[in-house]
Amino acid sequence: MLARNGDVSTLRWPSKFNEVPKDVFNREDVYRLELERIFYGPEWHMLAHRSEIAKAGDFKTATIGQAPVLIVHGDDGEIRVFANSCTHRATQLKTCARGNGKEIECPYHRWLFNNQGDLIGAPGMREFKQGFRREDYALRKLRTAEFCGIVFATFSDDAPAFDDYLGETRPFIAKAVGGDGRLKLLGYQKVSFASNWKAYADNEGYHGPLLHTAFQMLKWSTSNGAQFMTSHAHKVNHIELGQLPDFGPLQDSSVIEGRDPKLVPVNLIISLFPLSLVIHNLDVINLRYAFPVSPHETEVHYAYFAHEDDDEALVRHRIRQGSNLQGPSGFISLEDGAVFNRIHTGSHTAGNAEFQKGVTGPGPIATPFNLGKGDEAGNLIRWEHYRQAMGFERG
Amino acid sequence: MVDAAVLTQIDDLQSRYMRTLDRRAMDDWAACFDGQGSYVCIARENEEQDLALAIMMDDNSERIRDRVTYVTKIWVGVFEDYTTRHFVQRIECRQLQPALFLVESNFMVAYTTSRGRSEMLVAGVYKDEIVLGEGGAAFRSKRAILDTTVTPRYLVYPV
Ligand code: FES
Ligand SMILES: [Fe+2]
Repeated sequence: MLARNGDVSTLRWPSKFNEVPKDVFNREDVYRLELERIFYGPEWHMLAHRSEIAKAGDFKTATIGQAPVLIVHGDDGEIRVFANSCTHRATQLKTCARGNGKEIECPYHRWLFNNQGDLIGAPGMREFKQGFRREDYALRKLRTAEFCGIVFATFSDDAPAFDDYLGETRPFIAKAVGGDGRLKLLGYQKVSFASNWKAYADNEGYHGPLLHTAFQMLKWSTSNGAQFMTSHAHKVNHIELGQLPDFGPLQDSSVIEGRDPKLVPVNLIISLFPLSLVIHNLDVINLRYAFPVSPHETEVHYAYFAHEDDDEALVRHRIRQGSNLQGPSGFISLEDGAVFNRIHTGSHTAGNAEFQKGVTGPGPIATPFNLGKGDEAGNLIRWEHYRQAMGFERG
Repeated sequence: MVDAAVLTQIDDLQSRYMRTLDRRAMDDWAACFDGQGSYVCIARENEEQDLALAIMMDDNSERIRDRVTYVTKIWVGVFEDYTTRHFVQRIECRQLQPALFLVESNFMVAYTTSRGRSEMLVAGVYKDEIVLGEGGAAFRSKRAILDTTVTPRYLVYPV
């Protein structure tokens, strides 16, 4: 298998379990294999929340790996995910981020599909190749699953059963989206990080209070919390922020208050392999969809939500908080964006990146694994999952 | 038709705004707003779909002061700095009240990293409400609406 990808077999994975070869962050051949083994392989990818495409005929475009996909709310109420590519000659069907339509028409030769993906007409069909059957040219449908209104899909028939894939993360995801996932869309922030997707996904608890000066100010470093890793290499980070402290230098601290009456202020991050993030941070409800643009660039779409039961004041508060705390200019997140490109540049040097904080033994870590909230060792479980998915030999 | 003397005051304010940002004079940037001023930077995608979520949302003057604090105190030393150059062109000006004007201007912002490479940071349109008072013109409200819905890396400074 590896030979097919040229010199990927030359990649040497270190024998020490706390080391990751820097090569994997920037080699083109590794990247091509990742698309095949991970993004088009047996993993699930978070693409939308039902509230983003709330009505029949609503659609949203997204990307898995580099493949364009189309998420459509069918006339029958079911949400389906299709390859965003005409079954005739591959023309991309929808180009805008979101929209609504009675059907899906390809502009090139006007093949027409309904919102369930069936081909309903093609001009000049009588002159088509003998034996042409409309049924064979429905839009390519991906395996799709939904949890709390969050839509996931995979190109692979070998991806694990969806419930098993989410596993122990389920109650935490439910909590993050207000218990039942009855959400209302507030808007988007979109950013392109000058970094490999794995550096973006390699964020951990160790850097939190060190890189993010605001964390110290908010005293988040001293709150009660726990992190654990699941057998599918997902990470759950659950920190109760408790009594919010005095806000130091800010004149208007209303923007960092926890006001949701149903929840003690919490920093809840569910990081699903490979690239999906579900976040409830103070009163911000946030899904982060991400995809690699190249080995050197990762695009992240932050979608923000309120809960359907929120009163107007709480919705307004969530909008203010999301607009100020998170995203490319976020009070507590700007620093991540500012460090990813430096990790990426630095990784173009020989040798391995090393994990230290929370590493206890020389061997692989068993799951489920509880780690200290300020540790980075949990990411080694992700890396081990990655290594196995990629077929890289240790040693 | 808006009086040429008024347009001069408005254009002076826009120049001052560009100058303060490009020279990193954050206190002077905050002083471009009047006492009730607000600053919002939002993606066109959200603006057009009536989604209020923004990239920066300083909806009162305390929040504007706090943005100055982020940039000049809280984030210091954690980001690789970049320089910006703002280019702004007024495209419309309408009088709403005797001393209140609605002004639309196109903008482009170039940024240069410490490696010395320049690229476009964002392009878009400002929709501003500008008040004329004793001390000249000031922003009552400034909305930077970004055509650039996918912004590069990180945005330290307002645009
Ligand atoms: S490519 Fe779509 S109709 Fe021909
Ligand atoms: Fe971070």
